[in-house]
Amino acid sequence: MNHIVEVRNLNKNYPSFQLKDVSFSLNQGRITGFIGRNGAGKTTTIKSMLNLVHPDSGKISYFDLPLVGHEAEIKKRIGYSTGSVSWYPRKRLSDIATITSSFYPNWDKESYQKYMAQFSLDERKTPSELSEGMKVKFNLVLALSHQAEVLILDEPTSGLDPFSREELLDIFTSLKEEGVTLFFSTHIITDLEKCADDILYISQGRIVAEKTKEDFRSSYSKEHESLEETILRMEKENTHE
Amino acid sequence: MNNILKKEFTLSASPITYFFILFGLMFFLPGYPVLVSVIFVTLGIFKSFQNYRESNDFVFSSLLPISKKDIVKGKYLFSIIIEGLGFLLMLSATLVRMTLLKDVTVYRTNALMNTNLFTLGAGLFLFGLFNLIFIGIFFKTAYKFSPFVIYLILAFLVIGIFESLHYIPPMENINAFGFDHLLLQLVSFFTGLLSYLILTYISYRYAYHRFEKVDL
Repeated sequence: MNHIVEVRNLNKNYPSFQLKDVSFSLNQGRITGFIGRNGAGKTTTIKSMLNLVHPDSGKISYFDLPLVGHEAEIKKRIGYSTGSVSWYPRKRLSDIATITSSFYPNWDKESYQKYMAQFSLDERKTPSELSEGMKVKFNLVLALSHQAEVLILDEPTSGLDPFSREELLDIFTSLKEEGVTLFFSTHIITDLEKCADDILYISQGRIVAEKTKEDFRSSYSKEHESLEETILRMEKENTHE
Repeated sequence: MNNILKKEFTLSASPITYFFILFGLMFFLPGYPVLVSVIFVTLGIFKSFQNYRESNDFVFSSLLPISKKDIVKGKYLFSIIIEGLGFLLMLSATLVRMTLLKDVTVYRTNALMNTNLFTLGAGLFLFGLFNLIFIGIFFKTAYKFSPFVIYLILAFLVIGIFESLHYIPPMENINAFGFDHLLLQLVSFFTGLLSYLILTYISYRYAYHRFEKVDL
């Protein structure tokens, strides 16, 4: 399997939190679910992967290129989405998309229109008029229109109703079928059940497990234990250590 | 850089910034400390910086395939263009006051500072001060606005000093009307321009080094 993203020995110290020696890799055309409770280090890891946060040490590379020194080149090929942040809340989606497109030589107008229609997004609306789920979808449209090969999604399903969540996870599966690599953080374990191929589990700033979903079950789940019960038990054990 | 500038003007900026350029015309006001118009123009730019924070502009820009240095450069170019437009209005008002309105009583009897090339130089120094104190230090965190308060205090102090200078002999000539004492006017204008360029350059160098280290 090709490692399309490599994260090695990432460390970041905050006064009240530490990211400790985080290492993992993402494989092409697979969906990796990044699970952990609130405050476990998911967003710090993701922000480090996007160079929004500067790790104290560690290496991040995409497509065999180190992020440091190749940031612009790499960012042309990756996309980021979250529902919790909205860009330019009072600007029309069409204006945001037009400006965004000018930064990407490989922007595909047809893909943009196709996904806007598929996700039922109205270009005349502003982000402030969108629900959390629609914001995630709009960010996805921006990422997909520049043909991102890797999508990094920070808690895309949190705050969504069960119907929208189901719909979004279906979208992830169909993107995977088109060859896109997806990495999404979540604290909702059923998201993993639904669509993840690989599981990356973080607790208190450390990676506890990096396995395929099947290997994760066979390594950690007790008899008749669901994935949710397994992870909850593991989290309790980690917290009490 | 064209796409960055287009983004700055259409997506990132606050529309109030454009409106506040018009305060450059305050250089026409008699009996008013005209340099305050620089504060209004910079207040307009400050509104755009507030907009950047509220609209998550720095995170959005950092996700685009451009370097952090280019993000900072975009903000500086935007600010310099707005300052330039405000300055053009100030320059126009000054040239009219130095020629057509040179002998108008209301300007001749003005107790405050006259508007001439020295005033324009002083205005450029104030713009440089804004770039150094506000924009430069803002990029240390990309969210704290306290440097704007420091700038405001300093700017009013500096305006007070400029307003007083012509009452202190032998500085009275800096309040020259029309093209009187032209050499002095030109020297003070170019000194102001040079100070603007130096302060802005120092500020830009500091800003992009600092912004590189900011966690967003």
